Amino acid sequence: MEEIINEEEGTKIKFVGKCLLIEKLKNLNKKRKKIERVLVVGDLHLGFGEIIGIFGINVGREMFNNIIDEMSEVFRKIGKVDKVILLGDIKHDFGGILRQEWSDVIKMIDYLKEKCKKIILIKGNHDNFLKKIVRKRNLKIYNYYFYEGFFFCHGERDYKKIWDKKVKYLIVGHGHPAIKLKEKKGNKVEKYKCFLVGKIRGKKIIIIPSFAEYYVGSEPREGEIILAWNINFLNFVVYVVGENLEVLNFGLLKNL
Amino acid sequence: MSFIKYIEKNKAEEIENILNPIVREWFFSKFKEFSLTQLYGVKNINDRKNILVCAPTGGTKTLTAFLPIINYLVELALKKELENKVYAVYCSPLKALTNDIYINLIKPLEEIGEIAKKKGKEMQEIRVGLRTGDSEQKERQKMTKKSPHILVTTPESFAIVMTSKKFIENLRGVEYVIVDEIHALTNKRGVYLSLTLERLSDISIIEPVRIGLSATIAPLEEIARFLVGVGRECLIADVKLMKKVEIGLNFPGGNIIEAESIENQRELYYILDELIWKHKTTLIFTNTRAATERIIHYLDLHFPGKYVGLIGAHHSSMSKEKRFEIEEKLRKGELKVVVSSTSLELGIDIGSIDLVIMLRSPKSVSRALQRIGRAGHKLHENPKGEFLVLDRDDLIECGVMRKGMIEGKIDLAEIPKNCLDVLSQQIYGMAITRVWNVDELLKLIRRSYCYENLTKEDFYSVISYLAGDYALEHRNVYAKIWYDAEKKLIGKRGKMARVIYLTNLGTIPGEESASVIIGTGERKGSVVGKIDESFLEKMKRGDVFVLGGNKYQFLYARGLKAFVSADVSKNPTIPSWFSEILPLNFELAKEIGRFRKLVKERLQEKERCIEWIMSYLYCKREIANEIYDYFWQQDKFSEIPDEKTLVVEKYKENKEYLMFHSLYGRRVNDVLARAYAYAAARLKHRDVEIGVGDNGFYIAGESLDENKIINWVKSKDLEKIVKEAIEKTEILRRRFRHCAARALMILRNYKGREKSVGKQQVHSEFLFVAVKKLSDDFPILREARREVIEDLMDIKNAKKVLEWIERGEIKIKIKKLPLVSPFGLNLSLQGKSDLIKMEDRVSFLKRMYEIHMRTINNKEEFKII
Repeated sequence: MEEIINEEEGTKIKFVGKCLLIEKLKNLNKKRKKIERVLVVGDLHLGFGEIIGIFGINVGREMFNNIIDEMSEVFRKIGKVDKVILLGDIKHDFGGILRQEWSDVIKMIDYLKEKCKKIILIKGNHDNFLKKIVRKRNLKIYNYYFYEGFFFCHGERDYKKIWDKKVKYLIVGHGHPAIKLKEKKGNKVEKYKCFLVGKIRGKKIIIIPSFAEYYVGSEPREGEIILAWNINFLNFVVYVVGENLEVLNFGLLKNL
Repeated sequence: MSFIKYIEKNKAEEIENILNPIVREWFFSKFKEFSLTQLYGVKNINDRKNILVCAPTGGTKTLTAFLPIINYLVELALKKELENKVYAVYCSPLKALTNDIYINLIKPLEEIGEIAKKKGKEMQEIRVGLRTGDSEQKERQKMTKKSPHILVTTPESFAIVMTSKKFIENLRGVEYVIVDEIHALTNKRGVYLSLTLERLSDISIIEPVRIGLSATIAPLEEIARFLVGVGRECLIADVKLMKKVEIGLNFPGGNIIEAESIENQRELYYILDELIWKHKTTLIFTNTRAATERIIHYLDLHFPGKYVGLIGAHHSSMSKEKRFEIEEKLRKGELKVVVSSTSLELGIDIGSIDLVIMLRSPKSVSRALQRIGRAGHKLHENPKGEFLVLDRDDLIECGVMRKGMIEGKIDLAEIPKNCLDVLSQQIYGMAITRVWNVDELLKLIRRSYCYENLTKEDFYSVISYLAGDYALEHRNVYAKIWYDAEKKLIGKRGKMARVIYLTNLGTIPGEESASVIIGTGERKGSVVGKIDESFLEKMKRGDVFVLGGNKYQFLYARGLKAFVSADVSKNPTIPSWFSEILPLNFELAKEIGRFRKLVKERLQEKERCIEWIMSYLYCKREIANEIYDYFWQQDKFSEIPDEKTLVVEKYKENKEYLMFHSLYGRRVNDVLARAYAYAAARLKHRDVEIGVGDNGFYIAGESLDENKIINWVKSKDLEKIVKEAIEKTEILRRRFRHCAARALMILRNYKGREKSVGKQQVHSEFLFVAVKKLSDDFPILREARREVIEDLMDIKNAKKVLEWIERGEIKIKIKKLPLVSPFGLNLSLQGKSDLIKMEDRVSFLKRMYEIHMRTINNKEEFKII
């Protein structure tokens, strides 16, 4: 089940597993209309497997294959799209380019090319050396990207343009949101990746969970989510990522 | 063919005759006569026999080992025949060795030198080199060129010098190896050392003589085999210094139930105060760091000013300098009382303590003996101790323990076997020094007692891991060694290998302590103390705990920082001893079970029963009264469990509880609890809570069918069940992290960058999942499971218990009760230990979602956007 959260004037925002799908109805001319579809993907941290495997056993390959498998599941459900936006922290290593990052990033781009017309890469705080890699595929890296009332950036930095009247939605990653669900009477606690949806200075903001699986994420109630803005998450709505690309609305964080 | 032989003592003349006149003169200028330990040991060491010397603390063990070696070196030095090589290696698990070595080695050598000088005899200098983790680079280099004749070291530093290209040349002619405090090495550190010793034997031109020094421990034969390895002979000197054990058993207040109350805690401090001032110097063991702080705090509260400057704390979370300072003050006699968790149990001479008080049970007879041995450390003084107990379970436990001490019944130590993580690290270290034939390597490893029965499969799985076979792709990058299967050779790989080995070696897991920081309110940001990492891991948001006498509520953790709120009215939810508690020894537990049976048989005749308890436990009437009352209450309310009867009580609070009164110690109970809880969880597909103590355990869930649960668990399936039951637990993950660090899968230090435990944790978390996907049989994963069920828990004896039940030697009796019985009370108060997870993440999420939907009426909040 995908959750449709807005349907004003031809805009639909849907949750597809850990990703966000934006559908925009566009008037090509007076008669012809077209729905443009944009898929937003959170932090990938490609190459993380190599970092931990640097002296241990190699799990990087396995990790990358998992990521591709999960993406394929998304595309199987929604079909091809017009744009894919990667919301930053595409690769992991701050300090350089690991050999596996070269191949993972290139493979990822080649994979996405088959699934969309345009790939938008947004720079995250881990992406210092990403430019060098994506040059090979003639891609640019953006600090932020604006599209039809939506402002996309990684989330660790503020931009003046966010606060422009034209911006209705702010879509960010970086925070790796995840929520701990606890049984009232029992002791069982489990953590799940989630979207956090709320408001900030008159804009609507959606924080996208990380796509990378190695780490479930950070709990907003434990002060672990640090973005460029000071946000009280208690009035945010929590959408928990479940099984089979299902997303469950758990209501306001403060009532959880 | 017997390799192990007990020996008798030699005559004093025999030993005198061995000694060079100068050494003899020195000895008798210091001592009146040879100690009993020396009569046992000196000649045999001089005759170059492997020997295990077991004697109580204060039995002059260290000098026993050094005397013949000093004598030998002095004779060489007089003849000017001392070579530039290490003659003897002295290895001790204690890091703060310097002082002991000064007394037992450097000072004697100096004094002997002076005697020689006076006599006009020229003598070469005998060099002593100290090599520990603290040694400076310059010192180390100096040592390489000018070899010490006696090398003093720790197991870790020993392994380092064994891998040093240059220093190893100085070690090829080692003639003696002394392993001190071997009783404290019945763990992975000892396993590690056993392989280092085999490596030493392998490079040695002559096989070094092995000398083990131990406090009271059993079984001695096993420790002897552990010392010498497979196929070598060993003598055992079981030195029974007839030290009479003087040990009291007491509880504060007239009635022990009251002793548990706050009001009567006052009484405790008055008793402590009285005891302290009746003696010269008192050492108090509390078992835990938190209790150590509490005792000091309250002694000061009750007797303001009286203890200023006269009291000291000593526990392992204190800095090295601080601990050393306390030890120094003790030696100088400046302190009246020292309060320690467990850290002062081990070896170093701490001066003239004449009373040891044990608050709470030390959990095993040998540990209790070790503790009171700290009093009267001098040869002919009797150790004197006092048990001060605060609850009735402890009263019985300490009573039976005390009986064991008086009658000399020692509980059994166990040595871990076939640890694959330690093996990985050692093979890696060996591969650095040279190219090995794998058959030859396996032969060397199997000479260690700890790997005598290592299977070829296990051995090759470790080789495969190290050679990077599990890496699927990019094999070359991840391998630690190269392995040529055709030629059967292995060797070092990569330029970084040696550095990585040296900076990551060791077996003690990085258990860091976490800072506790106020996270809200006025004092926001102030650090209030430290807690162990393992303690932090157990905490959940909202938990209340005690630190330094104050209550804090846990908010969240960020790495190794715990953020708390100081404004708490709730009672503690986590007992402060949670992570530190010592497990009750199995043998001692069985003895208590026997005691229960004997009391139960006599319960009907009160007076006779009380008198019997007095004579059986050698105790005062008030103690016997107390014990009788406790049994009587249990008998009236439920039934007395004993060595032949396993009472299982069923009662209901917010959940259904099954309380198993299985008195086998928490290591065994942990296994049983998990197995039964797993059975219960399987039946209902819901998670089941467990609580584990020494005297029993409980499982709690929504509804429990006791007969089905009990019948489902069979001894033959136990290992399989428990392995499944621990698969999803925190404890397995944590142990996996430790094992992975030992096996160098996760590096603490890479390219000079020290990795925080927190970072290691994130990595190991992922590694754990990834490794499991790769192969469930991955050697380090198997080792983590083995460590959990064999070392942390005790599956061997748990299986035994189930067999007793199956053969009908133990009868299970189910009792349905309105509430928990007196014997179960302590355990039920202690709170749960773990959760056996059965429900998976997906169904839990669905259930939570449904619950959530039901409770939310206000649909508005779904429409915020």
